[in-house]
Amino acid sequence: MTTQSKSVNVPQSWESFAWKWMRYSGVVLAILAGVHVLIQDVLVGVYEIDINYVAGRWHGGFWRVYDFLLLFFAFSHGMNGVRQVLSDFIHSDGGRRTLNWILFIVWAAITVWGTVAIFAFTPPAS
Amino acid sequence: MSFKTAREGYVRYQGLGNWAFVLHRLAGLGVILFLIIHVADTALVYFKPEWYAHAVELYRLPIFGLGEILLMLALIYHGLNGLRIIYFDMINPDMWTIEVNRKSVIWTWAAALILWLPAAWIMATHILSHMGS
Repeated sequence: MTTQSKSVNVPQSWESFAWKWMRYSGVVLAILAGVHVLIQDVLVGVYEIDINYVAGRWHGGFWRVYDFLLLFFAFSHGMNGVRQVLSDFIHSDGGRRTLNWILFIVWAAITVWGTVAIFAFTPPAS
Repeated sequence: MSFKTAREGYVRYQGLGNWAFVLHRLAGLGVILFLIIHVADTALVYFKPEWYAHAVELYRLPIFGLGEILLMLALIYHGLNGLRIIYFDMINPDMWTIEVNRKSVIWTWAAALILWLPAAWIMATHILSHMGS
């Protein structure tokens, strides 16, 4: 049995953008998140991590930018994933609109919270 | 009512591809739940440094260490299965057949285990070497 794919035109909308976003950000995250957990969870491990470790890691700009990109991609990917899962169980337009706004606010709040910490952090005077 | 409909849908179609889908969602939800906690507590290094040490203390408990190892499996599976879906969707949609899908799901599970086992081993070694200290 053979199958053949055919192209269909999907109208541009926020939903088609979100669908593509999950794929593009997924490729980026496979690299960003993969390297992150390999270093932090496997090679370094939580027993070596404290505020001095973070200070050393965020001494230069590279890892700050890296962590910001990871935060941005992971959170937009993850919160949109939550939105897609919950949309399968909430069917009314009003319910979905409410859901979208709640998740958008949570997404924005946590992204700002993390971003401020990444770029405003200065090592404690010790 | 809507919940019931969706749930029955999951149960009635029991192909491997459907299990890949359900596990992909569960793994993703697990990862984002941890991620919210993880960003909230790591940001304490700036907002409340004296609380950060306490947060890290919790992560060093063996029960959290076990959770970390399971989280690693969830992340590896979600990532590999995601790349599989991306490849099918964006590059080769002809692969969306039941037979190809089933085989690729089995390969994905095998690859996830192969990547996870050494990581889990190293992480378990860390936990065991710090037990009781």
